[in-house]
Amino acid sequence: MRLALAILGSALLAAWGVGFAGPYEQQVLTIAGINALAVLGYQLVFGRLGALSLAQGIFFAVGAYATGLLATRWGLSFPVTFLVSILAPMLVALVVSIPVLRLGSHYFALATLGIAQLGTLVAVNWEDVTGGANGIYGVPEIAAFGQTVPVGSAMLVLVWGLVVFGVILFGLLTQGARGARLATLERSPLAAGAIGIDAGRTRLTLFLIGAGFAGAAGALQAHAVGVVSPAVARFDVMVAILAMAVIGGRGSALGAVLGAVLLTHLPEWFRAFESYYLIAYGVAVLATVILLPSGLAGLIRRTPARPPTRPPNWVATGPLAKSQTGFARPAGLARRPPATLTVAGAGKRFGGLIALEGVDLHISPGRIIGLIGPNGSGKTTLLNLISGLERADTGRVRLDAVDISGLPANHIARLGVARCFQHPDLPGELTAFEAVLAATPGDASAVDRAADSAADRAIGCLRELGIDMLASRRVSDLAAAEQRRLEIARALATQPRVLLLDEPAAGLGENERVDLARQLRQLAEGGLGILVVEHTMDFLLPLADRVVCLVAGRRVAEGEAAEVVRDPAAISAYFGEAPA
Amino acid sequence: MIDALAQLTVNGIALGAAYALAALGFVLVINAVGAVNFAHGDFVMAGGFLAVAISGYLPADLELPGLVVLPLTMLVAAGLGLLLSLIAYFPLRGRPPVSVFISTIAVAIILQHGTNAIFGPAPRAAPPVFGDGQVDLGIASVSMQQVAVIVVAAVLIGAVALVLSRTRFGRRLRAAAQDPEMAEAIGIDVPLMIAVTFALAISLAGATGALLANQFFVSPDDGGNYMLKAYIAVVIGGWGRIHGAVLGALLIGMFEVVVAAAASYVVAEALLYGALLAVLVLRPQGLFGEAEGRRA
Repeated sequence: MRLALAILGSALLAAWGVGFAGPYEQQVLTIAGINALAVLGYQLVFGRLGALSLAQGIFFAVGAYATGLLATRWGLSFPVTFLVSILAPMLVALVVSIPVLRLGSHYFALATLGIAQLGTLVAVNWEDVTGGANGIYGVPEIAAFGQTVPVGSAMLVLVWGLVVFGVILFGLLTQGARGARLATLERSPLAAGAIGIDAGRTRLTLFLIGAGFAGAAGALQAHAVGVVSPAVARFDVMVAILAMAVIGGRGSALGAVLGAVLLTHLPEWFRAFESYYLIAYGVAVLATVILLPSGLAGLIRRTPARPPTRPPNWVATGPLAKSQTGFARPAGLARRPPATLTVAGAGKRFGGLIALEGVDLHISPGRIIGLIGPNGSGKTTLLNLISGLERADTGRVRLDAVDISGLPANHIARLGVARCFQHPDLPGELTAFEAVLAATPGDASAVDRAADSAADRAIGCLRELGIDMLASRRVSDLAAAEQRRLEIARALATQPRVLLLDEPAAGLGENERVDLARQLRQLAEGGLGILVVEHTMDFLLPLADRVVCLVAGRRVAEGEAAEVVRDPAAISAYFGEAPA
Repeated sequence: MIDALAQLTVNGIALGAAYALAALGFVLVINAVGAVNFAHGDFVMAGGFLAVAISGYLPADLELPGLVVLPLTMLVAAGLGLLLSLIAYFPLRGRPPVSVFISTIAVAIILQHGTNAIFGPAPRAAPPVFGDGQVDLGIASVSMQQVAVIVVAAVLIGAVALVLSRTRFGRRLRAAAQDPEMAEAIGIDVPLMIAVTFALAISLAGATGALLANQFFVSPDDGGNYMLKAYIAVVIGGWGRIHGAVLGALLIGMFEVVVAAAASYVVAEALLYGALLAVLVLRPQGLFGEAEGRRA
């Protein structure tokens, strides 16, 4: 909806500009379109990754200088200069991404600011190349394939045509499952890793594409004004891009277009106030951040990804929830063969504290293993070691024969180890359907893609937990118990071969526990091996095939549930000492 | 040779002392609210112009006008700090830290262009604190203003450190910064502590501006530069460490003076940003810190 508005609005604006605007207004609109392109790219990084990059302005400058230099010094044609202007900032972005992209928020902002400052120094001081304070004059109008694109209506149409193209590209990168993955990555990075999202690759991709957008904008600006002055490398450019993104609406293509058009015209409207309009810029940004956190585009609600309207055919055959015996999962729901997870001699220290020492664990297909122990006994640490959130000091973790110790969390998740967190870690602004959609394998490595579409699979997983009727509700509106099930449904969407749950019954009522236990039992009957960390014994003991008890990082008891609760070591761990 | 080195050392310490004063305010806000005040440098700049403006109102025959100007500047700056917390921090409490980053960028824009509208773009100079003139130390010559910068910075930094570590008020301030919920639970007025921290931090920024605006002049677009210096000082000193920030600032001042003398100011700037990136990559815990959990 908002994407369609952005495209329609861009087209209408261009049409109006060609039909009714004078030359000056046409030029202002052209510049607005150029800004919209730069902001679109910035929305990918700042809006969707939530990474406050302060280098977008310098990427813009790199594009402008590349076009200026190549067109005036070597007289290269537009297709070449434009391509180089897009690729050059992407190359810069690639080089700086190695140190910068893994940094946390404040550090990322500062590092990109440092890069921007270096760029400004180069632009002003490397006079032989950049023309120093004079800049580069006489950048020609665009000419390619025997056609010239003079500044005026032709340039206006070209620029806004590229804006429309940019909005479509933006949509392809940020809609549906991709958008849900980005939201998960921004809001809950740990959970993103646990459902197999490769944060590093996603960040790099969007950072590079964002830089490419800025480069294209810089190149067009050089053609539109005929000059590349060191002003394009000033921090003011970055501030303007940031202001447009914030005021228009963070993360939205419509916001990019709105913000660019509005703020490019602001100086024109406040012409009478001379340079005071820059103060108005600041006031507008401040007011927007405080009063309208989602910007102008936020006034129109985002359209969530729609769950499939026609139920997949397998629904009619009867949901899993009704089956009481054996292997009865819906035919359409693809699943990978279950695997055995083996932990051997796992050890972990935090400073002087021994969190785990020599822990063995074995999760076979179709079995539910309970993991109990007092607070601080290392249960969650063990889950973290298996799922790759923390690295073990000693010991190995194997999935069937594959050694997964020390692999990154997202890699382990994609191999088939799914986990849920003690506190459900879900992006609140998504719908339940989208939250699960984010976990559906999206690339070619996905198993059995033909069997059902990602959307069908997402609905199927919601259905397995009995919450498919919540599909269109926002996650933040769900009750705690519903969020817990949603998180398990999301874990199922990764097509896990082993499932790890951290206190899934915490906060659930009696009936909800019974339901959950039944659902977990059915998953196990479907062949999945499940590890359940739990304090709620009347939930766990009837459910678990075997129970492992950890005390102070060591395994003190292991066996059938009935044995372990009678084990003196386990009892003394919970009650201080064994009852007489 | 020795003379030249001694002279550079004195200049470096004087510049570093001023940066340290700015970095101290910057890190206080980071610790109190976990957010970066992007406008901090613009408050340093504003301090410079405040000093210029205030000195304009003083009688011309006043001896050592700087001694009057400095406390007045700090007082007005403290008021501005309070205002900053009211418009750019408190309305955004509970939102992601990036919101405060953006709101303070907005304040920085307003300050920069507001100052430009009032005073014009030309550089201005504030009166010296102890008067003009040079002190000859034999191997180096120190201007009275450099002495003033070092003395004032040392006194203010020492006073802040004493207040934070020795007084009941300082303990409350630190408690509110470390664990706001717990502090609230034991009856500390956390919002008040945050407001006071902003006032103190911006007052220190104002002092920095008043001190630097004599020797180096001040113009409306200087803010970004000071903000970066404070930011870099905090990074190389170890995120959130007060002592680290002060040490980091001294290091930056020294580095800038030495490299500028050996090569040029541009080279000094470029190397500083290069060094910043290297620190971020190789020692994210800062140059002086122990490796520990990252806070940013």
